[in-house]
Amino acid sequence: MFKRDSILLYSFGGAVLLITGFIFWSYYTPEWKDYQTEFQELVAKRFGPDRADRVPDGLQQIWVKELDRVDRCTTCHQGMEWKGLENAPSPFRSHPQDILKKHPLAQYGCTVCHGGQGYATDVESAHGFTPHWDEPLLAKQVSDLYLIKDKKAMMQINCNICHRYDRETAGADYINQGKQLVQTKNCRACHTINGRGGVIGPDLTNVGDKAPEQYDYSRMLGVKTAFAWHVAHIQNPKALVPETVMPNFGFNSKEAQSLALLVMSWQRASIPTSYRPGVQLVEQQTPEEAEREKQMLTGEGAFFVKKGCFACHSVSAFDIKSASDIGPDLSFAVADVQSRFGKTLGDFLAKPTGTMAVVLSTQIQLSDEERREAVDKLKIAYEKKINQQAQAAQEALNKATSQAEKR
Amino acid sequence: MATKRSTWDKIKWTWQPETKREAGDSIVRNFLLHWFPSKVTRQSLSWNYSFWLGTISAVLFLILILTGIPLMFLYVPSVERAYLSVKDLEFTVSYGWFLRGLHRISAHLMVAVVFLHLVRVFLTGAYKNGTAVNQNRPLNWVIGLLLLLLTLLLSFTGYLLPWDQLAYWAITVGTNIASSAPVVGESMRFFLLGGRTIDQNTLIRFYVLHCFFLPLGVLLLFSYHMWRVRKDGGLACVDQLSLEQKKGPVEPIKSKTYSLLGITSGRTVHVETLIVDEDQHTVTASPNLTRRLMAVTLGTVAVAALLTTLFRAPLEEAANPSVTPNPAKAPWYFLWLQELVTDTTFTIGGITINGALIGGIIVPGLLVVAAIAWVYLDKSPPAAVGVWFAKERRKQNIVFLTVVAAILIFTIIGTYLRGPYWNFYWPWQSWPTMPRQF
Repeated sequence: MFKRDSILLYSFGGAVLLITGFIFWSYYTPEWKDYQTEFQELVAKRFGPDRADRVPDGLQQIWVKELDRVDRCTTCHQGMEWKGLENAPSPFRSHPQDILKKHPLAQYGCTVCHGGQGYATDVESAHGFTPHWDEPLLAKQVSDLYLIKDKKAMMQINCNICHRYDRETAGADYINQGKQLVQTKNCRACHTINGRGGVIGPDLTNVGDKAPEQYDYSRMLGVKTAFAWHVAHIQNPKALVPETVMPNFGFNSKEAQSLALLVMSWQRASIPTSYRPGVQLVEQQTPEEAEREKQMLTGEGAFFVKKGCFACHSVSAFDIKSASDIGPDLSFAVADVQSRFGKTLGDFLAKPTGTMAVVLSTQIQLSDEERREAVDKLKIAYEKKINQQAQAAQEALNKATSQAEKR
Repeated sequence: MATKRSTWDKIKWTWQPETKREAGDSIVRNFLLHWFPSKVTRQSLSWNYSFWLGTISAVLFLILILTGIPLMFLYVPSVERAYLSVKDLEFTVSYGWFLRGLHRISAHLMVAVVFLHLVRVFLTGAYKNGTAVNQNRPLNWVIGLLLLLLTLLLSFTGYLLPWDQLAYWAITVGTNIASSAPVVGESMRFFLLGGRTIDQNTLIRFYVLHCFFLPLGVLLLFSYHMWRVRKDGGLACVDQLSLEQKKGPVEPIKSKTYSLLGITSGRTVHVETLIVDEDQHTVTASPNLTRRLMAVTLGTVAVAALLTTLFRAPLEEAANPSVTPNPAKAPWYFLWLQELVTDTTFTIGGITINGALIGGIIVPGLLVVAAIAWVYLDKSPPAAVGVWFAKERRKQNIVFLTVVAAILIFTIIGTYLRGPYWNFYWPWQSWPTMPRQF
């Protein structure tokens, strides 16, 4: 009965020894060791054995305390700062040097720009395509997923986390395009961005922090990711959120991708001041833009600027230009409303229908007095416009008659 | 014959004693083994009476202490650093992944094995006193229950420490269930968390409990548990022997240490047990007990280490209070409760009955009370002590097994069959993919 215990004892002992042996073996043969050997061979071949001897071995890491990053990428990507390895095979190819001059490896590490899992020491986890790591390497693999040809496009999200207040960032084409669209389409008419803008849509200042789980994908086809949601939503807002008042701007897919990248870059990040690019922490305006805004705010039509009507409507009679021009020119509202809705402007403002019913009940609320003021001002605008038109017509007529007389 | 023995002599023992004297000496005069009897019955050594489950849980606890100590040097119990220090364990600390993995696997195994030990003790009626005097096995059952609760608490407090999503939300679910207790629920949760949310206060509380107070509690109760086992005359199956023995006077035994059932206080060597034919039923503890003990120890280590290398310990995203993973699950050994909470939550005419009180407090509370009361109410005869599925206790065992089966079924449903939004999914049905950033 008990004699067989010895067999058991030895077999369990053997099992423990085997497992211990396996653990030791795996400790001494990590994946990165092969890459380091390969790199040393490459260096020996190109620069001679002396240089190869001086290549550091063992785990390498860049610890950037200020940015709270530990990046062990250089354990395998050892040639990052080497000259003469520009055409070496991956993972030994050196990094483009221009950008490294402005972002020294020792001060920035790798993942703060490229994404990926800096802690990791095996290929799969390091590149971050493993479950439970939300920051994959923003390179070809991710670009391919969205059919973006530029494999560095996705990375520009990370550029703009620091460069969000730049008007333009060299090398970040997608982000630059996105920023330009934000200006020309005047997204700020409805959305607050960086503390400035309207309140009709949600504040987008930190929208990049929103977790992928927090979007509604129920009306979306294809991959369910935060990025895909943004692209789809920017291209056709009503398709994803039927009750939205956000207009369809008819963006093409490149424009929508640029905007999605920009939107996702708007993250709350605590960046040490020394890492901030040398710009003021406010959105910059050109002098013309500033002058124009001042004019609109002090001129005859200031009322429509202050109440936010100009987000969607121009009032050309008062020289107020809406950047988005989603709604009709209010200069003709007096006549327009009568013909479209069959009631006076005053009645319409008191009991609006359609989109204006939404806007006037939530975003822009007018008191009785303000409504009267609006009607009065728009009557003036209309008369002004009619007079202008009459005058123009008269002038044209005069011109035509004088030309006819000449003949 | 007093010979001078070195410290080494006091620790080592012979695996192949040539005489009974030598066999006895290797137990009695050995520092490490002196708490064992020098002779043990064959029954208590048998594999299929006890399955050695108590021993296995003790070995697992030993592994947990031995792996836990280096982990204490490597882990930083701070909200900012905890997750990173676990990442470092996984990726850069030499053998760190193995230390953490073995600690985790052993903890899971310990919960399971301690529970199985309880099942074994119940089904064999081993919580019952036999015929010997001064036995108090019901008390030891209660101590055992406390040890099970401490084991669960140890595992639960350890669950939070990696500070990842898994940890954060499992503790959220767990403590929310606790807060549904009437009157004291909210303040209990506040006390447990050190505030209203799981934050640094919670982490340090759980850490101190996990590394000091709970292990200390286990050590003290475990010592008492083992002492009681000896005082109660060893494993309950031994009591069957005394029932079978013919009555007859027993020669006074010269030395207490050589007796099998040296159990009575104040009686010293004059033990009035009925063991007649010791040789027939017993073997020397050395090497029969020591060798089997070593085999069980090595076997437990081997299985735990093998499982560690096969199943890497998970580490999810860093804890994020604003993003609830879907589904959010409590640790697996509490999933039967979470499942029970869902199943007892229903709405009648606009009033929602929250199952947390029923499933989270009342049912487990009743089970603990019933488990304590049961052993004092069980009046089955001594013939049912230490016997698997004794016919005198058939009804009891059926009731008990029904409860155990229910717990297991609910645990399996909660663990494997519940997907996003706690919806039910068969194993062959795939869960909807959860959205990602890119």
